[in-house]
Amino acid sequence: MSQLQTRFFTDNKKYSVDDVPFSIPAASEVQELSNVINKLLEAKNGSHSQIEFDFLVRGQFLRTSLSNHMEAEGISTEDVVEIEYVERFTAPQPEECMMHDDWISSVEADSEWILTGSYDKTARIWSLEGKAVMTVAGHTDVVKDVAWVRRDGLTSLLLTASLDQTILLWEWNSERNKLKARHCCRGHAGSVDTIATDPTLATEEEEEVEEPPSRPRKKQKTEQLGLTRTPLMTLSGHNEAVSSVLWLDSEEICSASWDHTIRLWDAETGSVKTTLTGSKVFNHISYSPLCRRLASGSTDRHVRLWDPRSKDGSLVLLSLTSHSGWVTAVKWAPSHEHQLVSGSLDNLVKLWDTRSCKTPLYDVSAHEDKVLCVDWTDSRLMLSGGADNKLYTYRYTACETDAGA
Amino acid sequence: PLPPLPRPHPAKGIHKCRKMGQDIRNTVGNVPMEWYQDYPHIGYNLDGKKIFKPIRNKDELDEFLDKMENPDYWRTVHDKMTASDIRLTDEQVDLVHRLQKGQFGDVNFNEYEPSVDFFTNEVMIHPVTNRPQDKRSFIPSLIEKEKVSKLVHAIKMGWIKPRKPKETTPQYYDLWAKEDPNAILGRHKMHVPAPKMRLPGHEESYNPPPEYLLTEEERLVWEQQDAEDRKLPFLPQKHSCLRAVPAFSRFIHERFERCLDLYLCPRQRKMRVNVNPEDLIPKLPKPKDLQPFPTTMSLVYRGHTSLVRCISASPTGQWLVSGSDDFTVRFWEVNTGRCMKTLEVGGAVKSVAWNPNPAVCLVAVCFEHTVLLLNPSLGDRLVVSSTDQLITAYEPPEEDKEQAVTWALSEGLEHNKGHRLTLTHPKAVKQVVWHGKGDYLSSVMPDNSSNLQVLIHQVSKRRTQNPFRKNKGLVQCVSFHPLRPYFFVATQRYVRVYNLIKQELTKKLMTNCKWISSMAIHPGGDNLICGSYDCRLAWFDLDLSTKPYKMLRHHKKALRGVAYHRNYPLFASGADDGSVIVCHGMVYNDLLQNPLIVPVKVLKGHQITHDLGVLDVTFHPTQPWVFSSGADTTIRLFT
Repeated sequence: MSQLQTRFFTDNKKYSVDDVPFSIPAASEVQELSNVINKLLEAKNGSHSQIEFDFLVRGQFLRTSLSNHMEAEGISTEDVVEIEYVERFTAPQPEECMMHDDWISSVEADSEWILTGSYDKTARIWSLEGKAVMTVAGHTDVVKDVAWVRRDGLTSLLLTASLDQTILLWEWNSERNKLKARHCCRGHAGSVDTIATDPTLATEEEEEVEEPPSRPRKKQKTEQLGLTRTPLMTLSGHNEAVSSVLWLDSEEICSASWDHTIRLWDAETGSVKTTLTGSKVFNHISYSPLCRRLASGSTDRHVRLWDPRSKDGSLVLLSLTSHSGWVTAVKWAPSHEHQLVSGSLDNLVKLWDTRSCKTPLYDVSAHEDKVLCVDWTDSRLMLSGGADNKLYTYRYTACETDAGA
Repeated sequence: PLPPLPRPHPAKGIHKCRKMGQDIRNTVGNVPMEWYQDYPHIGYNLDGKKIFKPIRNKDELDEFLDKMENPDYWRTVHDKMTASDIRLTDEQVDLVHRLQKGQFGDVNFNEYEPSVDFFTNEVMIHPVTNRPQDKRSFIPSLIEKEKVSKLVHAIKMGWIKPRKPKETTPQYYDLWAKEDPNAILGRHKMHVPAPKMRLPGHEESYNPPPEYLLTEEERLVWEQQDAEDRKLPFLPQKHSCLRAVPAFSRFIHERFERCLDLYLCPRQRKMRVNVNPEDLIPKLPKPKDLQPFPTTMSLVYRGHTSLVRCISASPTGQWLVSGSDDFTVRFWEVNTGRCMKTLEVGGAVKSVAWNPNPAVCLVAVCFEHTVLLLNPSLGDRLVVSSTDQLITAYEPPEEDKEQAVTWALSEGLEHNKGHRLTLTHPKAVKQVVWHGKGDYLSSVMPDNSSNLQVLIHQVSKRRTQNPFRKNKGLVQCVSFHPLRPYFFVATQRYVRVYNLIKQELTKKLMTNCKWISSMAIHPGGDNLICGSYDCRLAWFDLDLSTKPYKMLRHHKKALRGVAYHRNYPLFASGADDGSVIVCHGMVYNDLLQNPLIVPVKVLKGHQITHDLGVLDVTFHPTQPWVFSSGADTTIRLFT
């Protein structure tokens, strides 16, 4: 069996080994390499306990045997191979399953509470432990999207968007568990499918865009729900339904649409800055400020990564292919620049690392029906909801040092 | 020059003159008589007196009368010399006749008199001449001697050689001398060896192994087969020893067959034109160059409990309506597959149609004798309320005309369910279809016995009219032209195109199908596809011909639904074999270029239940997606 000269290195000081070349069998796989590292660490530090590692060769995760991987990547086997190793991302553990009365259309969680929108025309607030705290009822039709706006101590502001063409702004006091509708936002001429709040200002500035370009400006009668608000600005330009919006920063808005484009808008002027053109309908987009990439889920099987800053509007950086149905939801990890989670109509939630674009890190097959929404919080929690009326939460253990890498 | 001397004229002139007793012979001689044209005389007689021209005043008429009346006209000749008409006598006529026949002029001349030889062949006692013989006849000729001596000299000198004796052996030459010995000749190339006889095998043995012996059933089969179909021309038989083998009874027969084989063996190879089957297929672009088109099944809309007969997509593409045999109409959200609404109606839903006008939110549903206009209350609230206003704003006309259907406004509970208008027809309705503007609506009541098969309704005025006076056959489906005021009516075998403004038949399309099931009009309006129950799909180019431009036989079973895409060059057909076939159908603006039709994808997914597969297909209005509804109670979205 042929041997390869390898050199191991890591950014994590805790697990660093001596910078000397090792001769490793070419056919060795991840498990064997992991054992080698563990042996080395044990020799260095007696109290070391067994840890699973993952290995990267030139920025790509090792998934097959070392020789196969190097052949596929076209790396010369003559030189010393530099292999980076990181602590393996452990499989997300299912934690809670929250039953709803109907399909879950959207989920957003922050460090304390989970907010879900459902097809039973209500939104719900849950504690992280899976206890239903509050039911937000007020819409006359399906709630399509929800968002937290701001939290001042015990009072939080939240938004719900619905098929009845309105967005409601609610004020919720978590201590007294009291809910008050503050405003009703009107202006859309179709169902409101998506909302996004400005993450930096966290004021009551919300932006939403939806279907037909000709929208009525007529102010309707204020109903009992609260003061009616009309849009500050309308961003019109998409030819078809807008499926997803988000704030890149406080000046830029990004929207994905069924007309196969992702557009970047200037929030001040309301003009289009960049248009990224794809070939399929976009279902959902997500932006990671850590790696400054957009991830899009579309009606083919791929999760695509885009660079929103690039001048060349059609540049697809990478596509992550493993789903077998439409990708309905994508979400970047809030604290890791390489990881994202995606949900698809094939009932699977997949956890991806962009350094391994052929195969996902983990497949989560908890759902029995279509997955419609996913979320990922800072508090080590991943969430996914779908057409089986269940909201699943998964806990994972992130290695702190790796997150900073 | 002087005129030649006068000469006596031919005999007839002399005879004539003598008979007349007066000699009027002209003495001018053989000169052209034109010379005397301008003179009063024509010549001179023997006495030197002028012969004057006779006064002739005969004109053409007189000539003609003369010709008719004068019995001797035929024997009258004109004498140029005297300018007088002479009547020929019988003798003269006789002479002319004889000369014409090539006989002698004299009647008495005998041209067959026996000849008398001048000399006889017998030697007489007196010679003819008594001349003595010349000296030269006694002495040898000097000239001859000279010639002979010259020849002798030439022979001596060897100038003249004796003639070679003629060769008696026959001469041959090589016919193939010029042939290239290495060339492959036609007769070598075409060499066909005589067929060889098959060598005898084990079954021909007098004592074959038992596995070669036929069993009783095999023998019966062998006996019943035709001689040509038999695998073996004889029955293998087992004999205990060679001595027991009888004489071969088929010997003569077998020799004869062998002779026939040799005699009938082809002596020349037949030249077959080898056509590569690939070359016969027309050059079509590859399907992957014709993207986008639906390729995979993405969503399944479950909820119906019986077969889903009809589907229709909303003009915005956000909603889908379906009608089923479980007496319900369901409204679906396209991108999630969520059933937003279920409406019970009083019968199996035969057809649904979403109003194509985006400013109106109405769905036409037909079941049994009823066409129901529903407001699904999906989409923009303003559109929904303006649709309701449009329906309630109707003011009944002053004079009430008798209409073929009764229009009823729904109220109360039914209104809350979404029912708006109910049109009760006299017969069972099979299809409803909207005009592109969304105000007119047509319903089909197939019935072969009356002319009340197709009705056109106007929703805003609540009027109904029957456009046809005559019954032209069982109507299968109808459709409005997307742009012009034309109306397409498909009967069992023909599609008729009517001009609604002129109220006349514009075109009659022969589909060559046995029974049309469905029809769709290209959004440009110049092309049409027809699906039929005999597995065919006919594409018509209305500008080209009334016969199908292309006939597609891709489906294995009866077609149930066909559809065109509004923007993309796509069309789809669904059939009982459970598949949806998507084809690229590009129509060019250039009139010279025929439409390009390329089948691009077969979409499978529906299960076949009760021998029914896909019942309806429709495209998403904006995306290259196709919906299909099937007998397996599902609707599927292919993207």
